[in-house]
This record gives sequence, C-alpha cells and structure tokens, in this order.
Amino acid sequence: MRKILTIADREYRAMVGTRAFLISVTMMPLLMFGGIFAMEMLKNTGEIKDQRIVVIDHSGKFFAPLKMASDQRNRTLDSLREKIADDASHDAGPDGESGEAVANAPETGPTDPAAAGSGESADFGKFTRANRFLLERWDQDQVTDEQLWQLSEQVRNQDLYAFVEIPADIVDAPLPTDIDDLGSWPTIRFYSEDSAFSEARAWLDQVLNAQIRAMRLRSANVDPELVAQASLPVPVRGFGLLEKQTGGSIQDAAEKNELLTIFLPLGVMMLMFMVIFMASQPMLESVLEEKSQRIAEVLLGSANPYQLMTGKLLGTVCGSLTILLIYFLGGWFLASYRGWTEFVPVDMLPWFLGFQVCGVLFFASIFMAVGASVTQLKEAQSMLMPVWLVMMSPLFIWFMVIREPNGPMATWFSFFPPATPTMMMLRMSTDATIPVWQPVVGLLLLVLATAISVYIAARIFRVGLLWQGKTPRLGELVRWAFRG
Amino acid sequence: MTQAIELSHVTKRFGRHKAVDQLDLAVPEGSIYGFIGPNGSGKTTTLRMILRIYQPDEGSVSVLGSHQGKTADNRLGYLPEERGLYKRMRVGSLLAYYARLKGHYHCREYIDRWLERLGAGDWQKKRIDTLSKGMAQKVQFVAAVAARPRLVILDEPFSGLDPVNMESLREAVLYLREQGTTVVFSTHDMDMAENLCDTIFMIFRGRKVLDGTIEQIQNQYPANRVRVRFADSRLELPALPEIVESEPHGRGFLVTLRDASQTAALLRNLNQHGELHHFEVIRPTLHEVFVRIARPTAQDLVGAAAGPGGSE
Repeated sequence: MRKILTIADREYRAMVGTRAFLISVTMMPLLMFGGIFAMEMLKNTGEIKDQRIVVIDHSGKFFAPLKMASDQRNRTLDSLREKIADDASHDAGPDGESGEAVANAPETGPTDPAAAGSGESADFGKFTRANRFLLERWDQDQVTDEQLWQLSEQVRNQDLYAFVEIPADIVDAPLPTDIDDLGSWPTIRFYSEDSAFSEARAWLDQVLNAQIRAMRLRSANVDPELVAQASLPVPVRGFGLLEKQTGGSIQDAAEKNELLTIFLPLGVMMLMFMVIFMASQPMLESVLEEKSQRIAEVLLGSANPYQLMTGKLLGTVCGSLTILLIYFLGGWFLASYRGWTEFVPVDMLPWFLGFQVCGVLFFASIFMAVGASVTQLKEAQSMLMPVWLVMMSPLFIWFMVIREPNGPMATWFSFFPPATPTMMMLRMSTDATIPVWQPVVGLLLLVLATAISVYIAARIFRVGLLWQGKTPRLGELVRWAFRG
Repeated sequence: MTQAIELSHVTKRFGRHKAVDQLDLAVPEGSIYGFIGPNGSGKTTTLRMILRIYQPDEGSVSVLGSHQGKTADNRLGYLPEERGLYKRMRVGSLLAYYARLKGHYHCREYIDRWLERLGAGDWQKKRIDTLSKGMAQKVQFVAAVAARPRLVILDEPFSGLDPVNMESLREAVLYLREQGTTVVFSTHDMDMAENLCDTIFMIFRGRKVLDGTIEQIQNQYPANRVRVRFADSRLELPALPEIVESEPHGRGFLVTLRDASQTAALLRNLNQHGELHHFEVIRPTLHEVFVRIARPTAQDLVGAAAGPGGSE
C-alpha cells in the first residue's frame, strides 16, 4: 500500500506541481467560454457608420414614410448617444462607476427592436452601436440593368452602403391562393455586400411591412391603429414549479431566468468535461515518458504492474479533485461577488464527485493502456481519435439535451458510460425532474464500465510497458487484454 | 560460497522466439559479475528475469535466497541502459522517490554521500533535463544504489562516458564490492569487463557460451600466437611446418601456429635459426574471444542472404 501511495504522490505532484498545470487550469475556461465573452466584448467595438442607401421605389408610395422613419431613428440614436456620453462624464467621479448607466439601460426601456423604427427606443445596450441610415431617392422613373450594375459598383467602392428596389405592385398584387404561387409574389430586393446579416435590411423589413400592412388594412376599410391595439401581445412568462415547505406552506414558483436555464447546465457540463480531460490527458504523456525513457523498467523493478497502475490512477484522481476544488472555489468566489450564490447547484456536488471520479478512472485507464502500447505521441493520438470523439460527443448535442432533458435521446445517451458523466450532469442541472433511478443506474453502469476498462487496461499496460518496436495491431492488443 | 543469483535451466519465450534457452548461472555474493554478449543475445531478458519483471517459462530463478515471485525485491538496485530518469524532476526528489519505492524513506544523508563520492554534491536542485549524458549516468547510478541494495544490476553503466567519469564509476563499483554488495553489469566494453570483473558470463543466442574467471576463459581458448624477435633484426623468419601465417610486428614477427601445442617445437627451431631476443606466447583477449564466438559464420551469412530481399 505504501508503494501505491508513493507512486500516487509522485504522479499527483507531477500533474499539479508544474507551470503547465497552472496555465492549463487558467486557459481551459478561457478556451471553452472565451468565445462567448469575446462576442460580448466585440459587440461594443467597431466604428458607427452613416450608411447611404438608395431607394428605388417603383410604387412611389414608400420613400416618404421610409425617410421619415429613418430620420426619426437617427435622431433617437443621436440623443441616446448624447445621454450616454453625459452620464459617463457625470459618473466618472471618484467612485469610479462609469458606464453603470449603459449596463443598466436595457432594463429601463422597451426592448422591442421595432420601436427603434418609430424613434421610441431607449434600449441603450442594443442600439447605441447601431448605424445611422441615410436614405436617398432614386430620381428616375425606370432603372436599367446597367444602372443597377453601376449602383453595385458604388457599393463595391464603398460610396454607397446598399440599394433597395421596391416593385410597383407590392401593395396591390393579389394574394396567392396556393402556397406554390408564392414564388411569383412580388419581392422587395435589398442589394449590399452583407445583405444576409445586414442591420439595414432587417430594419427595412420591419418598417416596409408595417407600412404595407397599414395600406392593406386601409384599403379594406379597417383602422390600422385599431388592429395594432388588438394585436398588442401579452407576454407569457416562464416560472418553475411550486413547492411545499416543511411547515406545510406553499412556496410560490420563481420566475425562470432564460440565460441561467441555458448557461448553468452548459457550465456544469463543461466543468465535468474540463476536469476529466485535464486529469486524464497527462496520463498518456506520463506513461509514454516512462516507456520511452525506460523508467518503467526501474519502476517495475520496485513495484508490480498493478501497484504501479493503481498508484498512477490514484494520483490522477487526486489531481482531478484538485482541479475541481480550484474551479469550485473560483466559481463560488465569482458567484459571491455577483450575488449569484443561490444559483450554484451545491446539492449536485456528491453526484458530480461520483461521476467525476469514475469518469477520470475510465478515461485515464484508456489513456494509460494506449500510452503503454505505442512508442510515439503521434501513434497515440491516432489511436485515441475515437476516444476523443466519444468524449466530446456531449458537446455537440448539449443544446438538444437542455431543450428536452427527459427525451429519449438525452435519456439513452446518458446511460452510455463514456458519455454518462457529462450527459447525466447536463440533464440533472436543467430544471427538468430527472427520475432518481436514472443517475443511480447511470452511475452503476459507469462503475461497471470503469472496472472493465481498468482491468483490460491493466493487462495491456503490463505487457505494453516493456514492449519495444512496432506498434501492436488491434489483434495483439486484444490478445494482451485477454491472455496477458 | 553463498550465491546471490542462481538460475537453473531457465527458458523464456516471446511467441515463437526463444530469447533465453536452458540457462544456468550462479553469481557468488559479493562478487562483480560481467554479462557480455552481442545485441539481441538475451542479456536484457535475463536481467529482467532476475529483477522479476519477467517470469521464466521454464526453470527457476533464485535471487538473494528467495525464489521467483511476482513481488519486486527491495534488495535489488537497477540501472537501465542510458535512460531511466524523469526528465522534469529534480535530482534530489528523483533519488528520494526511487529510494522510497524500495521502502527507504529516510535516505537523504546516504544519497548525499553517494552524490559527493561521484562529485555531484551540488546537483540536488538540478533538473534532470539540464544534465549532460555523463552527469545523468552518475545520477542513474546513485538511483540504483540509493536504497542500499544487496544486489545491483547495471545495464551498460559505462556507455557514452568519458575516461574521467568512467574511472569514477569504476571506483564506485569497486567500493560497492568492498561493502559486500554483489554487482552484475552488462557491457560491450571488453577491456572494462576484463579489468573489473571477478567472473565473466557470455550469452549468445539465448545460451550460455562462457562462464568463469578471465583466466579460466583464456585457458579455454588455445594460445596459438607467438611474438618473436631475433637478436639480429636483419634475420628473416624461416619457413617452418608449424607456422600457419606470420606478419612483421615492430622489429620482430607475430606468428600464428597451426597448433598451440607446437610452441616448444617452434622455440627449438627458431633457436637453431638464430639467437632469439624475445619469445612471448600471447593469450587471447576477452575481445578476441568475444569476436570468435559472436562473429557471423558462413552459414549465418548464407541464411541472411536467403532472407527477404536477399535473393535479389
């Protein structure tokens, strides 16, 4: 036992006592979640532009209302920016809380983007980075293909941002009676270099359709204001479930935070993945080094293969617990700072630990067997490709799982042992009620799979560690696994 | 004398390949025993069986009085060829780790003394990957002896060392013997084996081909070469029936006899030819014995040529 602990101690120190460990512990969350933060940060960068748009209005009915809406929108944006600049200079006092107004602004005003068209928006967060639209009328009756090409050239030369062509019969065209006739329905054409994601195209879509709808209603002798009032939506807010307290009183359900509903399960799943990955991966390099440097011979002259393997796995599990502790304490500190501690799912910690330990043992033993079978890291990487894919598979389907945590795919996939730690934790951290038997069965299956994996890995490890020369074929590995 | 190692009819196979075949060996306690043999002859397999890394398929292995088992023996120290060290560990931590694995938890002073002896007293904090090959070899040696073993197995301990480091390691091996430790080492350096070992053991194609003191080995091989010099250096060597071939050697000749028993006849005949100034019977060196045994035979060469690609 003392030899096992000695080996575990070295393995643990080799894992956590290096600069590489500190770097990977820091970098891993950045790599995993960095994209989300980067998007948030980049959202507020870049130049705000005046975008010139030429409107070719064959109907002659839309330019004036469009121009009015765009002018109103520009004025709203200008006043919003002035207000932000004033608030920023006002708040940049000794308390150093500049930018608070911008951060809180979205909660103070309406969030309907259509409101921007009418100039009533106060949604700072969304519209302070919006571009201004400068609409210009196409002052000829007709437009030829040559002229359209010339306009395109102006866009390419960045003299113009876009041009839009509105057909003459856009309001009066008869409604199609068959869905197949939609292809011949008149279309408004928006031309720009980024038309697929253009902010201007989305704005035009809203404003033009609002205008067209109003014109159609008027021609049917219906008051558009009346319809607008009648169409005012009533929000359907999401709540959790009511609970009965120990004293018998009923506790009201809490309103669900949409972001939390998505990001909490995602965070828990990512944490499980990071801990397993970061703890298991060094095992491959460690065994490869011991094999290629003939350290294994020295070790096997001092301890038998089972002591060696047990010690190494024990050290790896302790390393994984250290990683979890670091992230948990870091997460708790962050949650305390932001006042989110109530959202930290502490009750799931025992389950997390159970799945984590089994998951680390399962994957580390596979890495150990592969490390003992090959002589070069490259060979190991190609052998491990299927293992990586299985290990990462929950990352590809997590969104489907959180939408339907008790669906057949999520349920059955969480019983597949290599995916059980991440999938089961992902499901359990959603708001859905997961039947208790499912994590229990998942854990039992994982324990069984881990025992088999460790047993087979031990046999391959014993033979492979002293194996020199060519990489064994699959048949030879199977022979090592079953016949030693 | 008590035996530190006893191998009796030991055979080890890997698939169809017989790496060691019916090997018998007895290494007396407190001796220095040299393992020689060409690459792939079964040296490492034999050493691994002594270390209990491998179990023999047939026969028995007894080390320091205990027979084979699957438990590693803490009384053994081992230095593998060239490598065997964790590159990113520091010297002190690594040596302490290897000693702890052998059950020695308080060995700091002992390790310090060994490092001092090898001129490496201030290396404790150095990382292994910053050491030169010679320095690393010394650290490996200390790793092998850090747990005060009764039997030390050294695989090519002198390979790649400069003469100064070689000498300090040679002295360390002699010191171990003084302390009563049995030392078994494999080497390709025949001079070192000849100078250092009490007994030489040679394995070839998995079988024992030599086992004994250097004198015993030399006696097994005929001393059929003679160095001669006449007082008158202008005298030519006469054509005698006992001489197979001769070549000039300094101011004399190196003569190969048809038969080692013909030295007396040669001396008599040469004395009749002229006054002899020097007559020396040369005993075969270990190097010569090794080459004679391990040199590929004509049969080997034919076999190799008939192998894959050999027919082209």
